[in-house]
Amino acid sequence: MIEVRNVMKWIQNGSRRVEILKGISLTIPAGQFVAIVGASGSGKSTLLGLLAGLDTPSSGEIWLDGTPIHNLAETQLAAVRGRKIGFVFQSYQLIQTLTALENVLLPFELNASGRGIDQARSLLGQVGLAERMEHYPVQLSGGEQQRVALARAFVVDPPIVMADEPTGNLDSSNGQLVLDLLLRRNRDERTTLVLVTHDAEVASRADRKIVLKDGKIVEDTLPTASGEEKHESEVAHG
Amino acid sequence: MARRALSWSRAAAIGWRDLKSAPGKFAFVVLSVAVGVAALVGVRGFSESFRHTLTNEAQSLMAGDLSARIFRQPSAEEEKKLAGVEEKIPGTQSTWVVETISMASVPPDPVPLLVTLKAVDPAQYPYYGEAQLEPNMTLQQALSGDSAVVADEFLVRLSAHVGDNLRLGGKNFRIAAVLKQEPDRMSAGAGMGPRVMISRAALGATGLLAPGSRASQRLLMKLPAKADQAAVRKQVEAALPDAQVMDFKEGNPALSQGLDNATAILSLICLVAMVLGAIGVAMAMHAHLEQRMDMLAILKAVGANSADLLRIFLLQTLGLGFLGGLLGVTAGVGVMVALPAVFGNLLPVHTQLGIPWRSVLAGLGTGLLTTLLFCLPPLLDVRAVRPVLVLRRLVEQAPSGIGAWFARWWARRLQLGIAVLVVAALGGIAWALSDSAKVGGWFALLFTIALIVLLLLSAVTLRVLRFLLNRVRLQLPSSLRHGLANLHRPGNQSAAVLASLGTGVMMILAVYLMQGSLLHEIRDTASPKLPNVFLVDVTSDEVEGIRSFFQHQPGMTAPLDLLPVVAGRFVSLNGKTLDELKEQHFPRRMLENAELSFADEIPAGDKLAQGKWWTDSNSPVMAVGEGTARRLGLGVGSAVTLAVGERSLNLKVGAIYKPDGEHPGARVSFELPSGLLKDEPATWYGGAHVDTKQVASMERALFAAYPTVTVINFADVLDRIESVVDQITFVVRFLAGFSILAGLMILASSIASARFRRMREAVVLKTLGATRMRIVRTFSVEFSVLGLLAGTVGVAFANLLTRILLHRLEISYHFDAAATTIALVGTAALATATGWIASYRILGLRPLEVLREE
Repeated sequence: MIEVRNVMKWIQNGSRRVEILKGISLTIPAGQFVAIVGASGSGKSTLLGLLAGLDTPSSGEIWLDGTPIHNLAETQLAAVRGRKIGFVFQSYQLIQTLTALENVLLPFELNASGRGIDQARSLLGQVGLAERMEHYPVQLSGGEQQRVALARAFVVDPPIVMADEPTGNLDSSNGQLVLDLLLRRNRDERTTLVLVTHDAEVASRADRKIVLKDGKIVEDTLPTASGEEKHESEVAHG
Repeated sequence: MARRALSWSRAAAIGWRDLKSAPGKFAFVVLSVAVGVAALVGVRGFSESFRHTLTNEAQSLMAGDLSARIFRQPSAEEEKKLAGVEEKIPGTQSTWVVETISMASVPPDPVPLLVTLKAVDPAQYPYYGEAQLEPNMTLQQALSGDSAVVADEFLVRLSAHVGDNLRLGGKNFRIAAVLKQEPDRMSAGAGMGPRVMISRAALGATGLLAPGSRASQRLLMKLPAKADQAAVRKQVEAALPDAQVMDFKEGNPALSQGLDNATAILSLICLVAMVLGAIGVAMAMHAHLEQRMDMLAILKAVGANSADLLRIFLLQTLGLGFLGGLLGVTAGVGVMVALPAVFGNLLPVHTQLGIPWRSVLAGLGTGLLTTLLFCLPPLLDVRAVRPVLVLRRLVEQAPSGIGAWFARWWARRLQLGIAVLVVAALGGIAWALSDSAKVGGWFALLFTIALIVLLLLSAVTLRVLRFLLNRVRLQLPSSLRHGLANLHRPGNQSAAVLASLGTGVMMILAVYLMQGSLLHEIRDTASPKLPNVFLVDVTSDEVEGIRSFFQHQPGMTAPLDLLPVVAGRFVSLNGKTLDELKEQHFPRRMLENAELSFADEIPAGDKLAQGKWWTDSNSPVMAVGEGTARRLGLGVGSAVTLAVGERSLNLKVGAIYKPDGEHPGARVSFELPSGLLKDEPATWYGGAHVDTKQVASMERALFAAYPTVTVINFADVLDRIESVVDQITFVVRFLAGFSILAGLMILASSIASARFRRMREAVVLKTLGATRMRIVRTFSVEFSVLGLLAGTVGVAFANLLTRILLHRLEISYHFDAAATTIALVGTAALATATGWIASYRILGLRPLEVLREE
């Protein structure tokens, strides 16, 4: 479970303080698929980065399965990221000098013991890249690179997967394929999936939709048994 | 409608803003240029200042207006003629300065030390400049009575102090002061030991200047301002026909020539660093243009043409080159100030350093020109940028195959043409720096070939590494695999880094290996029968005693070999006087100041080549060494007239002999029957082989019995040679170090230009759970392997080069495992340190900081 308690994030720009997040509080139960949406500059990627421990909040608390990650030392934070979170970026972020297989293997080598090679091969097979394992990123198309990135995010079986516009750089068929893979993982393995997107259609497939505007949550829609949307609060969390 | 070109000011503004966008990357580019310029300005600036000192201080450096040196005592007749010269020009003063080597000790310690002795008349000497003494006093005060002044080294080696006594020949002197500096130090040559100065009046009492002594006698003259120096010089030359006469205006031709040669060689070593730096700048500009593809495409899409783009980047390159040049000039002045310490004892003159304007301009110009020339080929690539890149990043790739390969090169024909121009310009620069078209041409050719081979070798090494990595990569630990794979990161200039670092390592190691092999050859291959102890200045009276001394000396492994030398003068060769032979470039000084010896049997070690040795000790014949006979055009039967003392000898060449170089006899090329010379004053030279453990006790005993006989221990000579060779190679290694520095700057610039890529890689790794240590390990593998490979390339080439050069010198080559290991480990350590300096702050970045910037 992810718990966010009154998180604020600002950056100092000369003498001016730019507030990016203005007091965010929310709870994401294990296994939920949450879509974070909002206009450019609303703070959604910053929020995702904080949830993933890629940055620390200026104030407030973030708890991941009972662990406070907002004040962890860097080494401990690295361990949390490595074991608990798989991250998928809009621009893939593969290491250009490593092959597809080596890229997928990397989190395993960083965080787990034993040989993850079979797991890496199997995952690449599952994302349809069994024949492209020894290729370097530069030899792969955008869609293929994003599928390698997905396999990399899944390789240590993290309980949480976070994705920042994972389909943003892809055409519709590749985007659909990537989204299907993410959803299958969420459904089959019960991983928590937190996804930032601009795409209304992608957001509509989520269990819960959080809308950000100017650094505040302006809408938080929870799923209902009947399939109707239930607005948990309008600005209660903002 | 005529097309408007991008104005120079607008191009400069775009170029400047582009530079400001990546100051870290361009800082290393500037440093790459600065390294070579600094080395060149340092060396040439020092040379310029040194020459300036020689010109400005010429009179002080000679201690007079005119000097005449002979290697014998002047005859009464000559003294009379010189007095006549002086009388003709009122106000003229003159004095004789004697320089020789001798043994000295500090009683009661009987251990003698070989010293360079100088005897002057302190009332006259020096006419210009002054001797600096500690405690501060005049030379006249210091050398009054039986006093001497000595160099610091003398006090250190004999644990003596000012106020102690020193024994020279048969006389004791009180050490009155330490000789810190003497104005005409460079006229004395390198010398064999610490310097000791006494008065000429006291020299006579030492007994060191026996009749026939070959000590250097230097006449110093001070002329009145209006005297005709050229006329006086002619008169002195007439009075002392075998003298080496110089006036202060010509300075010291041997030193000037040596300075020119050294400056040329050292400048070329600096040019290597400069070219490596320029290659680094070219590589950096190439990488920079690749990163600026979008900007170039946008500019083209809005109407800029290739010339406009070229203008922007040409100005940028010139700006960087100029900035690097200025920085290099500033650092070069620092190098110039440091050089006297690097040169150490090699310099006989205290150089007065000033701002060397000519060298500053030359360094700046050469740096700018080299940078511009090497950057032209990559800059011309802007012509190939297609505006369609604005719309899509991937454009169709060129077809592969041999035809396409040729087509690609054909498309780059302008760059190829410029490459030829670059080599020609390099030759021109080398010509200007070395003052020799031949040297310049060879330098450009060999350096270009060496660079191409090094670049190819580096590229092949990287390919082989990649091939091997692909075979075993999954078996390797993750950080090692990742670090090795990073060597092939796009935009990395690994091959250029390998070649440039490798060149620096090669130069430094090759010099070290050559030095080691040469000294090893001298020290270890000397035959055990070759003399290791030499005797100088033995008088005829002492010969029998000395023979007897050595017969009873323990530890003699080869008997004493004594050679008499009598001074003589050739009057004619084959019936022609020396004046008539002037055009034939004969060694006139050798003929006018000939060293003759006598032996009634062919001396040990010599072999008869032609004719036969005399049986009658009064025959009017002589024998000539083979090499000298060839040089003088003498053969068996040639007629020779010699003047010895007051006599004239008409002789025929009866024999030509071949000396073996292992006996003292090798130093003399003319042997006569004993009856013709034995009554002339002779100086004897000796050689013996004494067990090295017994040499010290033998020296002590000989000094006690024969204090005027000088003993030269071969081990001391070797030490002297070693220290001079060490000093020279240190200078070369110091300057070759700038090539290493240039290589490191290229590495730093390559790392800085891929900084964003590296930052992104670091944060992606962090996102995936990597700790700082893991990232440190990965990058350290990359840097250290790069250093190790560069070291390997350098070590391989250094050994190859040394092997070839030693083979030409007929000296055996030995692999030096210790030096090789140090070179390899040292290069790896330097590369790793530089890599991390250029990657500062990467480790501390937070992932989101970088990812948001995309």
